[in-house]
Amino acid sequence: MTETLDDELLVRQFNQGDDSVFDRIVEGNSAAIAVLANRLLGWPGEVEDIVQDVFLAAFLGLKKFRCECSLKTWLFTITINKCRSYRYKRMLYIRVFSQADAKTSLARAQAANETSMDSEVFERVRRAVKALPAKYREPVVLRYLQDLSTNEIAPMLGISKNALNVRLSRARERLRQDLAELIE
Amino acid sequence: MTENKIKNLLQKADQTAGAPAPISANLAVAVRRRANRRHTANLAVRIAAAAIVLFALGIWSFSAKKTRDQQNIVALQAQIEQLRVQTDATLNLIREVLDAERKQRRLNELRAELASIPDPMEEIRKQVDKTAFILVYQANRMYRELDQKDSAIQAYNRVIELFPQSRWAEEARQTLSEIKNNQLNNSKGDLI
Repeated sequence: MTETLDDELLVRQFNQGDDSVFDRIVEGNSAAIAVLANRLLGWPGEVEDIVQDVFLAAFLGLKKFRCECSLKTWLFTITINKCRSYRYKRMLYIRVFSQADAKTSLARAQAANETSMDSEVFERVRRAVKALPAKYREPVVLRYLQDLSTNEIAPMLGISKNALNVRLSRARERLRQDLAELIE
Repeated sequence: MTENKIKNLLQKADQTAGAPAPISANLAVAVRRRANRRHTANLAVRIAAAAIVLFALGIWSFSAKKTRDQQNIVALQAQIEQLRVQTDATLNLIREVLDAERKQRRLNELRAELASIPDPMEEIRKQVDKTAFILVYQANRMYRELDQKDSAIQAYNRVIELFPQSRWAEEARQTLSEIKNNQLNNSKGDLI
């Protein structure tokens, strides 16, 4: 509730011409947006373009923001939509990108000695997550990696809670099948 | 149970992947710049669209003007044709009026000419009078100059016979009376 009030204040200040508000919004949310975009796109590592797109859409649409949800939720919704269109538009490129990205991700994974997962396992998990259709991957990322409640996720995806639970269940089933050796 | 395992696996993978590359500190500036560029591009597109619309309107108005001009030309041609018909009608009327005037003038001339011709009956009367005068003149000449009394009497009687109502018949009667009186006087003188 307090967050929404703060957001309302920010939006009002922005509408009154206070440009510094946008700087504060970017500063406060860019990291979270980057993490979410990174997860939704299958950990490519480089997500600045997407984050820039998200904040551009926010900058252009902030005056129309009606504070029916928190600013963060609104930004997350924009991020989900941008990631969808990004993947759709660059489907061919993503194949090449993902191969290159796989190498960088693998390199990062190998470099991270303290991580509890070896590079081969990471790559399998990564492939399994990326293989999920967007309608299953998004709920999985938001629920298990962003730790959001179903109450928060459902409006972000524009679906009912029941539909969300069904999608989560089906996504789990797919992952269970793909990663059976790792889970058991 | 499976859900927790999957969640753990995913979280481990996420930790393994690490955080995304740090976002540029000038993100807000870059976003504003892109927004400005987009605004400029939108403005350019709108201006171009407006220019295209204006151009199309110009062409449309030009063609409409052309069509209007053509319509005007057709209307003017129709008006000219109408005026020509009216002019022809007026000329015909003028021609008819002039013809009528000419005929009237000719009629007046003929009337004047007719009026100038003398009355034939009068002429006949004059001729008759003249003939009677000539007869009386010849009779007088025969009686007074040529001493042809009998011929003169015959002539006077002819005048009385032919022109009984004329003044010359009256004169012939007087002369005859005079002749008779003379003859009586002569015979009286002879008797005396």
